[in-house]
Amino acid sequence: MKTAVFWGCRTLTSQYGYELSVREVLPRLGVELVDLREALCCGDPVKSVNDFAANYLAARVLALANLAGLENLLIPCNRCHFTISEAKKIVEQDEKTGQKICGLLKEEGLKYNPAVKIWHVIDFLHDLVGLDNVKKTVEKPLKGLRLASHVGCQIIRYSDLGRVDDAENPRKLDELICATGSECVDYAEKLDCCGYHLTYSHSDSALSLAGSKLKALQGLGVDGLVVSCPDCGTMFDSKQKDAATTVGAKLSLPVVYYTQLLGLALGIPQDKLGLQLNQSPVDLLLSKISA
Amino acid sequence: MSLVDSMSMAKPNLESRGKILARLRGRELVNCFQCMKCTSGCTALKLLELKPHEIEKLVNLGLVDELVSSDIIWTCVTCLKCVQRCPQKASPYHVIFALRNLAVEREVKAPEALMKAVSQVLETGLAEVVQKVTSRKMETCDRESLKLPKIVSPKESFQAVFLKALEEKQQ
Amino acid sequence: MSRIGVYVCHCGLNIAGVVDVEKVVEYAKGLPDVAVAKHYSYMCSEQGQRMIQDDIKTRKLDRIVIATCSPRMHEETFRKAVAKTGLNPYLVEIVNLREHVSWPHSHEPEQATEKAKVLVRMGVARARLLEPLEKRKVRVEKNVLVVGGGIAGIQASLDLANAGFRVCLVEKLPSIGGRMAQLDKTFPTLDCSACILTPKMVDVAHHSNITLLTNSEVVGVNGFVGNYEVTVLKKPRYVNEDRCVGCELCTKVCPVKVPDRFNENLSQTRAISVYSSHAVPKVAAINPEYCLRLKTKNKKVCGKCLEACEAKAIDFEQKPQNIQLRVGGIILAVGSEVFDASKAFELGYGRFPSVISNMEFERISDASGPTSGKIMSPKASQPPKNIAFIQCVGSRDRRFHEYCCRVGCMVSLKQAILAREKLGGDVNIYVCFNDLRSFGKGYEEFYRRARDLDVNFVAGVPSDVRMAADGSLYFDVFERGTNKLLEMHADLVVLANGLVPSDDIRRINELFHASRSADGFLLEAHPKLKPLECSTAGIFLAGACQAPKDIPDTVAQASGAAAKVIDLLSSGEIELEPLKAVVDEDLCSGCRICESICPFLAIEMKERKEDAEKMKAEVIEAMCQGCGLCSAACPTGAIKIQQYGRKQVLAQVDAALAEAKAKEES
Repeated sequence: MKTAVFWGCRTLTSQYGYELSVREVLPRLGVELVDLREALCCGDPVKSVNDFAANYLAARVLALANLAGLENLLIPCNRCHFTISEAKKIVEQDEKTGQKICGLLKEEGLKYNPAVKIWHVIDFLHDLVGLDNVKKTVEKPLKGLRLASHVGCQIIRYSDLGRVDDAENPRKLDELICATGSECVDYAEKLDCCGYHLTYSHSDSALSLAGSKLKALQGLGVDGLVVSCPDCGTMFDSKQKDAATTVGAKLSLPVVYYTQLLGLALGIPQDKLGLQLNQSPVDLLLSKISA
Repeated sequence: MSLVDSMSMAKPNLESRGKILARLRGRELVNCFQCMKCTSGCTALKLLELKPHEIEKLVNLGLVDELVSSDIIWTCVTCLKCVQRCPQKASPYHVIFALRNLAVEREVKAPEALMKAVSQVLETGLAEVVQKVTSRKMETCDRESLKLPKIVSPKESFQAVFLKALEEKQQ
Repeated sequence: MSRIGVYVCHCGLNIAGVVDVEKVVEYAKGLPDVAVAKHYSYMCSEQGQRMIQDDIKTRKLDRIVIATCSPRMHEETFRKAVAKTGLNPYLVEIVNLREHVSWPHSHEPEQATEKAKVLVRMGVARARLLEPLEKRKVRVEKNVLVVGGGIAGIQASLDLANAGFRVCLVEKLPSIGGRMAQLDKTFPTLDCSACILTPKMVDVAHHSNITLLTNSEVVGVNGFVGNYEVTVLKKPRYVNEDRCVGCELCTKVCPVKVPDRFNENLSQTRAISVYSSHAVPKVAAINPEYCLRLKTKNKKVCGKCLEACEAKAIDFEQKPQNIQLRVGGIILAVGSEVFDASKAFELGYGRFPSVISNMEFERISDASGPTSGKIMSPKASQPPKNIAFIQCVGSRDRRFHEYCCRVGCMVSLKQAILAREKLGGDVNIYVCFNDLRSFGKGYEEFYRRARDLDVNFVAGVPSDVRMAADGSLYFDVFERGTNKLLEMHADLVVLANGLVPSDDIRRINELFHASRSADGFLLEAHPKLKPLECSTAGIFLAGACQAPKDIPDTVAQASGAAAKVIDLLSSGEIELEPLKAVVDEDLCSGCRICESICPFLAIEMKERKEDAEKMKAEVIEAMCQGCGLCSAACPTGAIKIQQYGRKQVLAQVDAALAEAKAKEES
């Protein structure tokens, strides 16, 4: 099957491991990825400044998907997924705003199409490709790994908008992790936020939030944390050392993107999955995978 | 409304309150009955003292202007827990963002990093600049070395239209 | 030729403040057949009525038109007044000048007056064609069905039985007693619930006027007010009620363990058991979903109870019974359920063993419960040192139920006080609340009692509850009074779950034609003035099935419902309004459109003696509400509503359009 893919900003500009692993893994599951005509911001940081302009940007992303003539739009980032989901609802239900936005799109010859379906990597794999099909493609089950999931905030909340998974008991990422052959554990802080958005205004607090969660995870004795959003990845992986300093703890927790984990289970070489780019001690995790 | 905040001598500004209400899609703000559930679970409370219930009440009483010029509205982490769990669907997150928009409109200070992101979008279409990353093997990598496709910037037409969108005055 | 009297009411200033009543009266005088036209300040008053009555006698009036407020207000009053003069009360026509003229058009007095004239003209046109009608009397059964054997059903049954009515009380569980039987103590007096309830339960069992059908459900309801035909399904308990003495030897030998429903599944009973320690009737019942012999349908399997029973009361061959009843009135007292807090996943109910519901707390506190009255979670090894109550779970919450459950606060106050009294002063007890509602008689004093016992009230509710590795619970609450974020630790958390409509409320709704309100509970005919009855005639409501309520209100409502039934049935007959549908058989083609369209199931097709092949429509007067749907749908005009036939309605339409027609012709 074919799907358009919208990367947002962070994946394209720094979280290359996520992009590499998505590009490697999805074709193995029979999915052809089609990039949009251009790279664009979904509007997330603009929301604080001008809500209308933010919704316009998000609608423009959907219009670009429509331009590509594709019905499915895969969005690997949680924040992009939320921003675009909210914008979709507003354009379709708030007549006045919807008309204004469509008018602006028209100026560039773009058209909004309500038939475009929005997906995140998690529900795309779990529901559209199908959990069973994902299991079938696993060649090297990752036995011996005990992992924890961090699904994030903006793809499970708020339920009324229609999200990727249940807000209080999200299970899809856990099931996807188990599909790779690993064990996935529950923990009290599972639904806690990584703090990414605070990096715009209170970066120490952002690091403190990430550090507290990492500390709690480390206390669980898990082999690694699995994320599926470039912002959560930035906080837990790229900034793990800074987070450790902020909370005054020794942190050494491997953090990987789900698609990197799945890629390993599909037998794809580490470099192709960008695992060398992860800043957290991923080698500790890799060594635990029994041959 | 006839009341005065005897600490700051602030009076309710019904016009500002009306502006915030108009930006919310629904009137649930007035239904907040101060159960504290949002604040009890607020991610930003312990570190930054954000109290979503307080913001709801201050706005409903019309004491908006102080909030608009305050730092507190920039402490929200956007975890959306308050939207999810509020028993009256009063959604403090949406109220806070309406306050942020009003602050920017009134040219009150907003975090530099956010304003920078917006001008970045205007310039290049993306909110971030492309970075070089150092791998654990101490190699410097970028999109080219990793054989990732080039980033295509939006066509020229985009800038003008985005500027128009930014100028859109909210009701 | 008729002699019509037209009376225009000022209704104080309600009508006269907008409509020029004198002009309307002048206009009325000019209408054909109008013998007298007057106006007066309050037509419904004694003087107003007398004015009409005197005119009927002296001016020999034979039709009356009263232009006043809505007929829903005083039509009955005027009919009675007219009837006193000997004139048929159905020769009275009400024209609504208040809700239809002065209130909606209060800013346009001139046009309002013109409209008033037109409406009076229409009223006069109809009045000429009104026919005298008589109320019909129907015999009623002096038997009553009470559905539900909780305190509401029990109270209503006793009141009715004591008043001399025969009552059939149907209860779906093997024992009566309902929720109240599961409570330990009751607020605000801390009376032992079983002590005050069981005497009433025993009275019900022994009352000569009450037939108790337990393990039974109503499966069919037909008929109409005063004459209901009800089918009750008595489910087999596989134990002969006349022989079983309640010794419980069978329970001791049964090998199959079953969750004990009476103890909120906190303990186990056996596949054969007596429902609870104070069950009425004290007769065992076998649960067919668990019993080995019944599940496998194999007579060689188990049968230990059969061997052990000395009274030879066990009967695996017992069959379900259909029992037919004829009753005059029905009281619905089917109660409510408790909110399932596992829906509020973030609070940990169902996941964390030390998070329990308020109902589970009751069973734990009860000396006959799963912990013999020791306050602790059955899964814990010792009593708690820190107890936290969390209010409004599932209530006042637009994610679940918007309403306030009314009893949650009082229940938690009671349970906090019981915990303090049983566990002593060393234990920390907190109640986390949004608003604390202690509204009834003695309730505010009860709240003070709790505070006097050092129960701490935390003004705020947590966002979620978390469990530590040792099974203890922790959560944050922002407290309104201190403005502090309190990190709370508890080894027992009790959730104040609200009351919700029972699982089978939809079945009850459909079976009895008893509507539900938006919150899912059964709907009363009028929230203030008719809280005890349904809009369906002959069906009454008592207890929590109508709305969440506590025991004092339940008992009051139950007695009230009983009084209503007594009022309905005591004379042995009821009068039916004649404004019903009536069929002209000569015009009826038997097409059955009216039968299919009637929302009250008031039309039957009957064979005619003269022409056995053709079925003709017949109206069941007691069910007919006079809505007029049949009349509008009938292709031949065979069925019509009395006083609202084609002749009468078209005369009104012609009168309405008279001016337009005159313009056209000129």
